[in-house]
Amino acid sequence: MNWFDKLLDWFSGFTEQWEKHGVKFTAYTTVAILIGGIFELVPPFFLTKTAEPIAGTKPYNALELAGRDIYQREGCNNCHTQMVRPFKWEVDRFDPQHSYGKDGYSKAGEFVYDHPFLWGSKRTGPDLAHESQIQPSAEWHKTHLINPRDTAKGSIMPSYPWLFEESSTLDATDIANHMKGLRKVGVPYTDEDIASVATLVSGKTEGDALVAYLLKLGKDTAELSKNLQ
Amino acid sequence: MSSFEQKYNDGIVKGFLLSALVWGIASMLVGVWIAFQMVYPELNIGPYFTFGRLRPLHTNAAIFGFALSIIFATGYHTVQRLCRVRIWSDKLANLHLVLYNLTIILAAITLPLGLSQSKEYAELEWPLDLLIVVWFVIFIVNYFGTIFTREEKQLYVALWFYIASWVTIPILFIVNNLSIPVSWIKSYSVFAGVFDANIQWWYGHNAVAFVLTTPFLGLMYYYLPKHIKQPIYSHRLSIIHFWSLIFIYIWAGPHHLLYTPLPDWLQTTGMVFSIMLWMPSWGGMLNGFLTLTQAKEKIKTDATLKMMLVGVTFYGMSTFEGPLLSIRSVSGLGHNTDWIIGHVHGGTLGWVGMMSFAAIYYLVPRIWNTNLYSERLANFHFWVATLGILLYIVSMWVSGITEGSMWRAIDSTGALKYPNWVQITETLKPYRLFRGIGGALYFVGLITMIYNVIRTIRTSGDGFKEIDLRVGLKEAKAQ
Repeated sequence: MNWFDKLLDWFSGFTEQWEKHGVKFTAYTTVAILIGGIFELVPPFFLTKTAEPIAGTKPYNALELAGRDIYQREGCNNCHTQMVRPFKWEVDRFDPQHSYGKDGYSKAGEFVYDHPFLWGSKRTGPDLAHESQIQPSAEWHKTHLINPRDTAKGSIMPSYPWLFEESSTLDATDIANHMKGLRKVGVPYTDEDIASVATLVSGKTEGDALVAYLLKLGKDTAELSKNLQ
Repeated sequence: MSSFEQKYNDGIVKGFLLSALVWGIASMLVGVWIAFQMVYPELNIGPYFTFGRLRPLHTNAAIFGFALSIIFATGYHTVQRLCRVRIWSDKLANLHLVLYNLTIILAAITLPLGLSQSKEYAELEWPLDLLIVVWFVIFIVNYFGTIFTREEKQLYVALWFYIASWVTIPILFIVNNLSIPVSWIKSYSVFAGVFDANIQWWYGHNAVAFVLTTPFLGLMYYYLPKHIKQPIYSHRLSIIHFWSLIFIYIWAGPHHLLYTPLPDWLQTTGMVFSIMLWMPSWGGMLNGFLTLTQAKEKIKTDATLKMMLVGVTFYGMSTFEGPLLSIRSVSGLGHNTDWIIGHVHGGTLGWVGMMSFAAIYYLVPRIWNTNLYSERLANFHFWVATLGILLYIVSMWVSGITEGSMWRAIDSTGALKYPNWVQITETLKPYRLFRGIGGALYFVGLITMIYNVIRTIRTSGDGFKEIDLRVGLKEAKAQ
């Protein structure tokens, strides 16, 4: 281990100098952490920014976006993932209709309008990336959200009955503001999209919006691959 | 003793120690609650106390309430002693304490209300993020002000780890939280999709590195040698493992995104650096262990030292498990399962928690100038906490591996063996119940400590006398 000792001698020779200079030490520490940070963030920024949206992927409409906000507010992403990994067993489970051809896993282009991404990190309940293709019934989703045990006995999901109560009626001004904000970060909402908010959400509850969002998940890409087939 | 007290500002250390106790109770109580929600869904009390809203409250209170309080308490305590000057500005220190606790209180209110950016460990909405930036800047100015006016020329190794944390945390925090506000309570990340995920896990993994690891290594490097009155085993090992640790850690984020559409080369980089990280991590563990062995006969009697020993052991275990889980094929099985929850809690309950408790048992008698009310209760805390951790992580290991295996099980026709999701949930129920019990035991330990601390503080000013329990026991027997 003689070479290792020499390496240590050489290295500690100059780090020991820094240990007496607060500014120098802090500066070199910053450099040490910036190298990896820059490598990890800068090249992918250009690569993923230029990643083509999959043709057919459309931004969320007003009702779906309102639903996505509810999904975030209720922290659904703490238990449900939105990321089908490229394994047979995962594709079989989360793409039972083979709506996405033989490559039924998640692709970068599906997420280009997602601010923020909602992939999650824990799958206590099933993955929802392609939920519209697994459970297309709005009525089922409503029943499930009001009391999950009614559709899946033994489920440990919380009940969300208040989402469908009258007090949970959506506010169109908020949603229009949210769309304007998202336009600033690059989601291509047109003026017509924003003007149409009121008609799309009028009289709808937060629960309706959440169901609309769930039925949007995976819809665009599934339709695209059906057309291609 | 009195001239000593005047030289250093220990009031700020007291403030943060008490914050730690309060946020410790809050975070762990919510933790136990949500653990049982995983078994009994009727414990979800809507709309404010469902799992989806309480889980961010649990993680934020644990990381930013409990762990950060310990970090600031030990940070203020050590920097004054290691620089041999009083903290640069008492006023800034107090302002830091007040604004910090205000933030955590607001977090505890807004998270159950559902105000969330939905980024893990960065859920707080933008007005709170700005508040955090304000007090963190105040803190950093004060901390570096102390370092730059120091009387001790050499920066001791504990300070390196604290400095690295103060430098890195703001960078991670600000970049990941860049967002466009659309109202006072709602904002959208400026990043989208895959890139947002990349930023988030660069932040998320390095929150583990620079909030939950480096400050606690700093803590270890100060309190461990101080407590056993022996120097750290190797200064050169400190040098090599410090620089390699902070350099390598920052690259490891993408191992959270294996098998996602993140570019492959980036996934591989993350995986390779995660495996490399094993060595500097164990460098720190070994330095701790080898220092401990210089006082190994003390371990039998001294609860504080036992906690440090278990803390360092769990640090070694978690930093072995981490690189293991970052290997693609292992991630394929473990990702998204309870195994990850077990892994995280091995680190937080075992390493962060135990080192925090050790620091509290070390600091409280000295700062309040009295002796600990009961060594026996401290010992009880140690055992009940250790048992709790073991029950927690073993049940999560079993649950996670069962979960991952059931997801991927395929019968002889090539069809899924367990297509019904609830069937898997039902299978995991007993393990999740044991997890809740493990967590509850850990919580009992915490409450015991708080009782012990309150009784200790009541006798404040009685004078601190260090007792060597080995001698104490012999004397007791002789009498």
